[in-house]
Amino acid sequence: MSTPRDEAIIKQSRRSQSAARIAEAASVGLRMLLIKIALLGIVDAIAVYALLVLFLDEQWLVAALVAIVTIVVNWIYFSRRHLPAKYLTPGVIFLVVFQIFVVGYTAYIGFTNYGTGHNSDKSQAVDALMSSALERVPDSPTYGVTVVENIAGLGLLVTDPEGDVSVGGTDAPLERVKSAEMEAGKAVAVDGYTSLSFADVLARQGEIAALRVPFSDDPNDGALRTPDGSSAYVYTSTLIYDEQADTMTDAQTGTVYQDNGTGAFTTEDGDALLPGWRINVGLDNFARAFSEDSIRNPLINVTIWTIVFAFLSVATTFFLGLFLALVFNDLRMKGRKFYRIAMILPYAFPAFLSALVWAGLLSESFGFINQVLLGGAEIPWLTDPTLAKASILFVNLWLGFPYMFLVCTGALQSIPGDIVEAATVDGAKPWAIFRLIKLPLLLVTLAPILISSFAFNFNNFNLIYMLTGGGPRDPLASVNVGSTDILISMVYKVAFTGQLRDYGLASAFTIIIFVIVATISIVSFKKTKALEELN
Amino acid sequence: MKVKSMGFNPRSMLMAGALATTAVLALAGCAGGAGDASGDGSSALTVWVDAERVDALKAAAAAYENKTGVAVKLVSKDTAKIKDDFLQQVPTGKGPDITMGAHDWLGELVTNGVVAPIELADKQDDFLEVAYAAATYDGKQYMLPYAVENLALLRNADLVPEAATSFDDMIAKGTAAGVTHPFLVQQGPESDPYHLYPFQTSFGAPVFGGDENGYDATDLQIGNEGGLAYAQWLSAQGKNGTGVLNTEITGDIASQAFLSGDAAFWLTGPWNVTAAQDAGINLAVDLITSPGVEAAQPFAGVKGFFVSEQSKNKVAANDFLVNYLGTEDVQTALYASGNVLPALKASAEAASSDPIVAGFAAVGAEAVPMPAIPEMGAVWQFWGIAEAAIINGEDPTAIWRKLAADVQGAIG
Amino acid sequence: MNTTVTASTGNSPSTRRPFRFGRWFRATGWRHIVGVIMVIFSVFPLLYVLSAALNPRGTLTGSNHLFAEIGFEAFGRILSDPTNPFGAWFVNTLLVASITAVATVFLGALAAYSFSRMRFTGRRVGLMTIVLVQMFPQLLAVVAIFLLMSTISDWFPAIGLNTHIGLIMVYMGGALGVNTYLMYGFFNTIPRDIDEAAKIDGAGHARIFFTIILRLVAPILAVVGLLSFISTTNEFVVASILLIDPEKQTLAVGLYKLVSNPNYADWSAFSAGAIMAALPVMALFLFLQKYIVGGLTAGAVK
Repeated sequence: MSTPRDEAIIKQSRRSQSAARIAEAASVGLRMLLIKIALLGIVDAIAVYALLVLFLDEQWLVAALVAIVTIVVNWIYFSRRHLPAKYLTPGVIFLVVFQIFVVGYTAYIGFTNYGTGHNSDKSQAVDALMSSALERVPDSPTYGVTVVENIAGLGLLVTDPEGDVSVGGTDAPLERVKSAEMEAGKAVAVDGYTSLSFADVLARQGEIAALRVPFSDDPNDGALRTPDGSSAYVYTSTLIYDEQADTMTDAQTGTVYQDNGTGAFTTEDGDALLPGWRINVGLDNFARAFSEDSIRNPLINVTIWTIVFAFLSVATTFFLGLFLALVFNDLRMKGRKFYRIAMILPYAFPAFLSALVWAGLLSESFGFINQVLLGGAEIPWLTDPTLAKASILFVNLWLGFPYMFLVCTGALQSIPGDIVEAATVDGAKPWAIFRLIKLPLLLVTLAPILISSFAFNFNNFNLIYMLTGGGPRDPLASVNVGSTDILISMVYKVAFTGQLRDYGLASAFTIIIFVIVATISIVSFKKTKALEELN
Repeated sequence: MKVKSMGFNPRSMLMAGALATTAVLALAGCAGGAGDASGDGSSALTVWVDAERVDALKAAAAAYENKTGVAVKLVSKDTAKIKDDFLQQVPTGKGPDITMGAHDWLGELVTNGVVAPIELADKQDDFLEVAYAAATYDGKQYMLPYAVENLALLRNADLVPEAATSFDDMIAKGTAAGVTHPFLVQQGPESDPYHLYPFQTSFGAPVFGGDENGYDATDLQIGNEGGLAYAQWLSAQGKNGTGVLNTEITGDIASQAFLSGDAAFWLTGPWNVTAAQDAGINLAVDLITSPGVEAAQPFAGVKGFFVSEQSKNKVAANDFLVNYLGTEDVQTALYASGNVLPALKASAEAASSDPIVAGFAAVGAEAVPMPAIPEMGAVWQFWGIAEAAIINGEDPTAIWRKLAADVQGAIG
Repeated sequence: MNTTVTASTGNSPSTRRPFRFGRWFRATGWRHIVGVIMVIFSVFPLLYVLSAALNPRGTLTGSNHLFAEIGFEAFGRILSDPTNPFGAWFVNTLLVASITAVATVFLGALAAYSFSRMRFTGRRVGLMTIVLVQMFPQLLAVVAIFLLMSTISDWFPAIGLNTHIGLIMVYMGGALGVNTYLMYGFFNTIPRDIDEAAKIDGAGHARIFFTIILRLVAPILAVVGLLSFISTTNEFVVASILLIDPEKQTLAVGLYKLVSNPNYADWSAFSAGAIMAALPVMALFLFLQKYIVGGLTAGAVK
């Protein structure tokens, strides 16, 4: 019933409204653009600086990578397309550098012999062998020395215990000198050489540590070396390194050690000189992982327990957390803040501290639970195989429910209130509302959390290690594996026994475990249809 | 919109986040240019030190810098991680020049080629015999010894005025004193072979045999006749016997009981002395009573310093260790601020004017270095669980035989 | 009305006498009983920590006589020890944890938005990858992280070892992960009509994201921020290899050193420190609670 005039006014106002909207959008767009340019400018500035540093250091490969990434980033943000990439790039860059690289490197270790005795590269191994092969000539005295220098290079001015003075350099065996300048019974200067002060010595430590002055023309007499710049000793080497032939020869026995590709100098009989170095060993570690006796026997039990432990940990923490989230999500309830804070506490303290406290509480003869709560009962909470498993699950419930409580509380907020209201008005019972409306909606958000929580507990090394150490162990079994050990803690025990660290083997195991967890997870994702919406 | 009233503006928060992120990165980029000062660091030594020892070394480090101009940068490290970090970081060239450590790491450090030998030369005789022996691996010296730690028997002199003459006498005296625990030794679910070792040696059953060059891994002694006798004794003191040994008694429980006057004797190390004195216990330190036929020899743990094989400051590092930390003045000063028995004889004697230190030193005279050979790992793996099983009532002979067989099997 | 069946099976028979009380009890009263039980369950073990902190020579688990001695010496000791610069640790932790939390929320929300609202090739693989990557056992991660950071240090010392920026960057590597999934799920429950309506109004994608969607998902942003803050505060392994100087370290690294040698462990000081370290977490939770559960739901905005 409007007049044409009215309609015109309405049209007019609509037009101006939409004009205002466009103007607003444009101004926001402009602001966004400015921010975008500023941010990209900063990123590019940093990239240019980084490239400069890398060029100066001649790191071509890394420089090329930085350049490519920078160009791609600029392209993504300036192009009108590639919308998803605009949102994903920042996170993905950090993900690739700090997670994927780490995973890749860990996996790579699985194909090497990295571990005790194979801790570094070959040149370091040779250095270490040569430095520990130096043997002081028996009953040889301590010589006072001053480090000196002439055109031929560094040398040592040596005073022997009788007070006789000689001088020599790398290529010049010791020679007696007559007139040296003495100070407190030690020659400190001689003609034809410049003496180095302690500060000079420190400035050239590398050279001085490598300095060997032949004791005489006969190489078998050994050479003088000064570890500290003020005294020297005569050393012979028990090993001779032939760089050309790439062999080590024992100076006393004549045994020849060769680099035969096993990552250490080895005799024909297979005796290896350690330290060796890191090499690629292909699939050796995987072969060992499957043939290792100490793993094979307990493997089935441990795998079952690992899955049970991970599953029950998720189930118990989730249901307690969800229950509590529902209970304390009622706006009418007073003091919710207080209860919530108290329930977050287990999560706010370092887990290892809590695990220690729990271990104390559960102690058989002295713990609070037996002594006070149960009036002096002697229940072996942590030393009986079955009870220990239950205790582990219980402590993990304590440690883990606050996380689930928080996550569920957050997820609950995504359930539209009107659906629940409508259902209530229709007379649905609370349980039905929960089961038919809330839970399905929650699971859409939470299913991935549950799966990754399963994976986390599958590898929850710390809890096991801190609470029971995998024990109790069967004293009659010849393997170092206890009844609460999960796969990852068993791997730790097998690969890192006492002083022997076998990173290669450990890494091979982690890859195998990863494959297991990933398979279970992918199957669960499919099952729960968490990715249903993806297509 | 209702949201407005919440006063929460995620957008501004997130923009702030974006800016913070980029600003952080920009800052990083700009500051990068100024950070080259570390250079080759020719006149600064980086020394990793146990967190609880940093204070003791601070004065020494400062004095050395005054004397030579070489700055000593002490980095306090988590004791539990220091060895693994050293092993991982030395090969990258980022490790320290010197690290503090325990002598029983030597096998692992040498096998990995991360430590350089040092030359104590004529000074070797100035050190306590056990300290010098512990610093030697495979006939070479790798460590500058700094302190020696071993167990001894603490006695609450208000409860028991006189030292016990034998193990049984100790239990009798402790029982007569009418306290809950006549004698305490720290245990755990997998026992504690380190704390029980003096009793084991008293039956003539060391882990390995050996000579002055160190332990010999091919000469496994643990399963000998003495070992079986020791197993019988363990069983008799365990759950089905006198109950003197109880795997439930953790370090915390033992400490709390002794400090509150509920225990007469406590087999423990010097680390618990300060706490006991602070708690007002009238403390005496006795020799460890022997339940067997020989003297009770505890393990000695020697703390000291290692030089990194990859250090670029080896001359300074050697000078600092051998010519400075190894001198009497410094070792005595370290003792004064650290309260552990010095490894240098002269300083140890000076320190022994304190009856507590003298007590530990007297036990230490009997002590043997904890084996540093890698094969020791195989022993630890089976040792505690076997002792715990025996204490908790399993058949001592069978378990001990199995222990010896398992260790032998693991050593190969 | 969030009453569940677990709740209505009853702990009520004895308390049903007065009519109004009964109604109150059915509506909220029983929730208080659950609350009290949970408070006891949650807090009781931590009383040992408090007791150890207040007892100057206390052990953590040596005795069941809690609060036998009360004193604040342990707090004094940890606050005044020059080798343990607690104040610096505290500030460092706040700094690192706050920046990490904000950055994690920001990067995660960006990614979650694109996964939820856009369709592109590699989306499915991407979603799977970010959650699978975090399942890789971390047993050897330190070796790789140290190598990476020490290499970065060689060229860019300001973001390498012994820097907070370096540490934050490593933490940001975990920004896309299960938290992203949590946000993704939440984004999916926001009706697309809202986006469409805004689009018709001429808003661009960025504007829709920043001004509309983010407000609607505030609860999950707050939850993710809190989770990230807590885990960064307690993170020890990476922080301990990256941060070398005591005055650069975080609370977790610094405090662990007090107890890492069992023979010299100072549990009193450690407990005192841990209690103080938990305070920022509580404060943040108190602050964020109103965003997490302020009755702000998608339904309410429609």
